[in-house]
Amino acid sequence: MDYHEHHVKHRGEDAFGLVVLVVSVLLLWKSYTIAGFSALSSPGAFPMAASAVMVFSASLVVIGNARRRGRLSGEEILPRTVVLFTALVIAYAAALVPLGFLPASFLFLILAMKLLYRASWLRSLIIALASLALVYIVFRLVFQVVLPQGIVPEDEILAMFRHHPAPEAP
Amino acid sequence: MTEALSYFTTAWFDPWLLFLIAAGTFAGIYIGAIPGLSVTMAVSILISFTFSWDVNDALCLMVGIFMGGVYGGSRTAILLNIPGAPSAIATALDGYPLAQRGEAGEAIGISTVMSFFGGMVGIALLAIGAPIISDFALTFQPRDYMLLAILGILLVGSLSGESLAKGVVAGAFGMLIGTVGLDPLTAEERFTFGFTELWNGISFVAVMIGLFGVAEALGQLRQLELPAIKQKITRIVPSWASLRRYLPLSLQTSMIGVIIGALPGVGGDIAALMAYDYAKRTVRDPEVPFGKGAREGLVAPESANNAAVGGAFIPMLTLGIPGDAVTAIFIGALFIHGLNPGPMLMIEQPHMFWFMVGNLVLACVFMLIFGLTGIRIFTKIVEIPKGILIPLILLLSVVGAYAVNNSVTDVYWMLGFGVLGYFMKQYGYQVGPVILGVILARLIDENWRRAIISEQEHLGSFFANMFASPLSLVLFAAVVLTVLSQTPVLGWIRRLFRRA
Repeated sequence: MDYHEHHVKHRGEDAFGLVVLVVSVLLLWKSYTIAGFSALSSPGAFPMAASAVMVFSASLVVIGNARRRGRLSGEEILPRTVVLFTALVIAYAAALVPLGFLPASFLFLILAMKLLYRASWLRSLIIALASLALVYIVFRLVFQVVLPQGIVPEDEILAMFRHHPAPEAP
Repeated sequence: MTEALSYFTTAWFDPWLLFLIAAGTFAGIYIGAIPGLSVTMAVSILISFTFSWDVNDALCLMVGIFMGGVYGGSRTAILLNIPGAPSAIATALDGYPLAQRGEAGEAIGISTVMSFFGGMVGIALLAIGAPIISDFALTFQPRDYMLLAILGILLVGSLSGESLAKGVVAGAFGMLIGTVGLDPLTAEERFTFGFTELWNGISFVAVMIGLFGVAEALGQLRQLELPAIKQKITRIVPSWASLRRYLPLSLQTSMIGVIIGALPGVGGDIAALMAYDYAKRTVRDPEVPFGKGAREGLVAPESANNAAVGGAFIPMLTLGIPGDAVTAIFIGALFIHGLNPGPMLMIEQPHMFWFMVGNLVLACVFMLIFGLTGIRIFTKIVEIPKGILIPLILLLSVVGAYAVNNSVTDVYWMLGFGVLGYFMKQYGYQVGPVILGVILARLIDENWRRAIISEQEHLGSFFANMFASPLSLVLFAAVVLTVLSQTPVLGWIRRLFRRA
């Protein structure tokens, strides 16, 4: 399709194109196993058509990449910040249920802001607390979104504010 | 008629709904203006927070965000030369030079009033056009819907990125994600790999937040600095004389905006660029040349991109086909709230249609009010460092993905799609077609099967009947032309003709 002769190649662009092609071939095979060529209206017909189109255009991309003799760009595709930050987000997701929304988010915000904003601990702490309070008020209290409680006995604390003491366990 | 009017004004006399529209528009302006936050991001995260709400409340908020967000990008375009949203790219061309000359206030004023005007034209045409189109749409055959949906994915793929091939890869991938789970007609498993957890499919909200929230935020980690605003802001409300002067141009470019917005696959960003180009070609003697701070260069794109909002609602509400990524997410929201956009919406639930038209008008009015005030606070808010903004976006994305089903699995799906989207963006694959594919997969699948069953599984008669129907033929030709326009084939034909 349109191949830019002057285009600068990104690092790993060829490999990514190949991975996409391999995945699309696997998806084509997987959609063939749904119903084979039994009928044009079978549940597998549309997935097969869609994955065949994907295989076809992914091969065009791979061929285009191979033909293009672009200069390799010196730009880093995965800078250290992105890797570190992604790892931090995954850790946050994993901690969300066991620790609960408030402590997990607080730790995440502090560490993330320290990593990206590079302010002093005190400043990061204040910003993290303030923004967490805002998010909590808007989403938990106004929008009534259910969030994992974890180790903080949120319901009891909220109930205290509402002057309805939590019922005692029998 | 009186019924329509009463639906139209439902939100006008309800203080809570009024508040939601105002809050949505206000938030939309800032989301659109802050580089790093986008309307697609905001609406996709918001869906997860509002899905348990009453339909009316959720729609009011989202309509406001949509309208405000399309406009909001113009402010940062004028003040910082950074379009806060893609629809403001054309605005920066003349807006920033104007601000450099010390006329930032006037530039903001003109773009606000013209956005209001364009928005109103778009809504008027929506109110007139949608009932007609939806009557017409009742004659659509299943194959026509299928062709329209394919056309939409192709257009998003070809117009928004560097190559059609990559756009098609993304669109096809999206369609496959959309088919994961039990087949709605036969309950056969598709792409479940033996996991019962996948029977209900992959939550499209998780896919959306991943692709538009996380991937976008990760991409922005690459450039964390943002220049500070140093513009002086003077008079904001533009003079009556200057408004009267630009009104004809605004009306013309609004029409361009509505038409472009109504085409499946293209939205406000393309409309704004085309309107700018139109103004450049038709305005004979601008006071200042285009690109150096011509007011016409602000009027045209700003009228067009807000007019495109009304335009984009036309295919969304009458055909159930989204115009672009934002409307695709909007359709997702309507599905979640049990509404089924399409020709039957106008017949079965006309109140929803007029309710939305009324809300759009309100959002437009609020946009005018907020647009002409609060510039000083604005300059402070836009300066929030990305190092603070990005962790907050991620926090909201994680919480949003969790909130839909109270499940951490959805959060992992979201993160997975976020990382995938990051790489896709780095290598020039657009993420817009993925979401269009996810939303439209079911429509294409069902309509294809309906169409081919009605032809007794005979491919020959499917094509014969398609070529016998003028509408199907036009749609088919549009699909073929879209593909051909991106290949060298058209060039060969042109050369052949030149030689002959």
